[in-house]
Amino acid sequence: MDTTQLILDTAQKMFADHCDKALLDRAEQGHYAAQLWDVVAENGLPQLATSAGGGSLSDAFLLLRVAGRHALPLALAEALIANHLMGASHCEAFSGRISLGIADSHSAEGGEVNVALVGVPWARAMERICYVIGDPLEVVILDVSDCEITQHTNMAGEARDEVRFLGIPRRCSAPESIDVTHVFELMALSRAALMSGALERVLGLTIDYAKERKQFGRPIGGFQAIQHTLAVLAGQVAAALRATDAAIAALGSPHFSVQVAVAKARVGEAAGIAAEIAHQVHGAMGFTHEHQLHHFTRRLLAWRDEYGRETFWQQRIGKQIAQRGADALWDLVVGA
Amino acid sequence: MEGLRFDSIGLPPEADALRRDVRAFLQAHQPRDALPDSDFNHGHDPQFSRALGQRGWIGMTWPRQYGGGERSFFERYVVTEELLAAGAPVSAHWIADRQSGPLLLRYGTQAQRARFLPPITRGESYFSIGMSEPDSGSDLASVRTSARAVNGGYVVNGTKVWTTDAHRNHFIIALVRTESGGENRHAGLTQLIVDLHSDGVQVRPIRNMAGDADFNEVVFTDCFVPDDQLVGRAGNGWEQVTSELSYERSGPERFLSSFRVLVELVRVVGPAPTEHQAAVIGRLAGHLMTLRQMSISVAGMLQAGLSPAVEAALVKALGNDFEKELPEIARLAAPHVGDDHRFRATLAQTLLHAPAFTIRGGTREILRGVIARGLGLR
Repeated sequence: MDTTQLILDTAQKMFADHCDKALLDRAEQGHYAAQLWDVVAENGLPQLATSAGGGSLSDAFLLLRVAGRHALPLALAEALIANHLMGASHCEAFSGRISLGIADSHSAEGGEVNVALVGVPWARAMERICYVIGDPLEVVILDVSDCEITQHTNMAGEARDEVRFLGIPRRCSAPESIDVTHVFELMALSRAALMSGALERVLGLTIDYAKERKQFGRPIGGFQAIQHTLAVLAGQVAAALRATDAAIAALGSPHFSVQVAVAKARVGEAAGIAAEIAHQVHGAMGFTHEHQLHHFTRRLLAWRDEYGRETFWQQRIGKQIAQRGADALWDLVVGA
Repeated sequence: MEGLRFDSIGLPPEADALRRDVRAFLQAHQPRDALPDSDFNHGHDPQFSRALGQRGWIGMTWPRQYGGGERSFFERYVVTEELLAAGAPVSAHWIADRQSGPLLLRYGTQAQRARFLPPITRGESYFSIGMSEPDSGSDLASVRTSARAVNGGYVVNGTKVWTTDAHRNHFIIALVRTESGGENRHAGLTQLIVDLHSDGVQVRPIRNMAGDADFNEVVFTDCFVPDDQLVGRAGNGWEQVTSELSYERSGPERFLSSFRVLVELVRVVGPAPTEHQAAVIGRLAGHLMTLRQMSISVAGMLQAGLSPAVEAALVKALGNDFEKELPEIARLAAPHVGDDHRFRATLAQTLLHAPAFTIRGGTREILRGVIARGLGLR
């Protein structure tokens, strides 16, 4: 078994053991799963995409797919990418709780910066926040104790906080090979990977329910109408997984930019369709808070809007195609 | 989970050079007079097929001793997708190359391979599929065309229908009943290679709603078929036809049929699209790229000797829906132009053929049933 598979299997077991409904409910009430973070950190998972961490950037996204299957209530994507950026910037390594934001603007005078970040996962429970800005890229590290944090949540009840900072931050020497667009793309791919995992889970839950739930004297999965609906769901999930994997496989290649756009748009589209079908098949039961389905469907609905909605990425691809012209379209499709 | 295995497969390095070769070939040989059409059923052009055969691009994966190129499924994939994307006239040799040849390689005798395969690879011998009948469409096991064993062969009686290009192809591989299946509907079925020019075969054209007459009714009246044209084992027909389906369902022809509409949409929209037009073009291109990745994954499984029937059904189901959706969306995003405009002409040609996309080769409903079975629901 290769190292990647070993890491993923370990993570799968770890997340399955810890991420039960009670933990997810507590996290959605605003309580950070500190113990779970400790287990994840002890196993070195947040360092997976650093040169010291033994993994690679692609392993990090495969890990996020596993995290998505369990609705892992941690800012793992942010920690993975922040640590990756800090490693690439020759920053002092940090093994503690860290989240990530992308700043639209900040003002800097002397050594002092004034910055506001929105939508930072679990900022309230972090030790540090890494943010990136601009062209050329700057990687800036804040101590959370110096920040003013306002708590917010997304529609899945996940902590998405506002961070304000005025003072002298830690700075890293920014890596020349990375620009802010690339960081945005990596975060978009993180959401595609998380959604892929959640889609796998939603498909599994829905198939199981269709086999168990009986009406008219037989499992509802025996009815052709339900079978066809589930076939549509399976198609959307398969397309989402394939699009995400293609983008992960394109990391470091010149096609990455297009592939990540395809992935985020395609997975986002699948997310909406899948959530709708899963709830329809689950009936009223899936609409209750007691059932676990909504932990995954609400995340799908939230994550598809983070780091660029479908239209944002579709327009980026569409504009590129229009500029290159009709006769170059096929080249773009095949990556020639 | 079964039915969801679509591994990341990159095309091998030799694919790039091959792609360039195909494009150069198309520059020289693609007819200029016709509107390019990516539908694999369109454009029956023996001259083009023979030129393609000369280049070694028919039967590419087959053994050399039968005229094949012993190349990989991936290389065949590159050639077929380039031909379809360019809208080249591929219909003459398409079925023989895609499924009749592979069927004979798997189940045919040495003598049958030696006789039928080399002319196929030269682009000279064309095959039709003989599955559907007037009363047997999706329920293929209900076929009634009969083949009665006689001295030296079989006598065939019955009718096949929707037989594409039967009026200009050379052979049809007919699924016939050699005995009553009794309790088991899948038993007693047999595949025979029938010469479409032999006595007792009558081919009648059927016009479709687009005005074409590509498909036909084929009537067999006491048609004698010699023993040496039996494919595989008598009574084994069901297993044999279902084995063809992974080849038939997962290729690029299952999502590229309306590709030229997207090309013409990009052309008519021009370099400065509105936000809506850009999103539409980007969405369709993204769906296309993902379908292609899924389809290449299935090619990888075929290359590995697997028989990915559920994955193939899934590619076809998603791909056909995409082919149908594409012209509908393009139509609304395009600027207003007259019916004679290249965009409108391509759109009309595709819309008028679109009903067939989700019917031929397994209806959407049949495919969804196959997928549901793969999910463990039946």
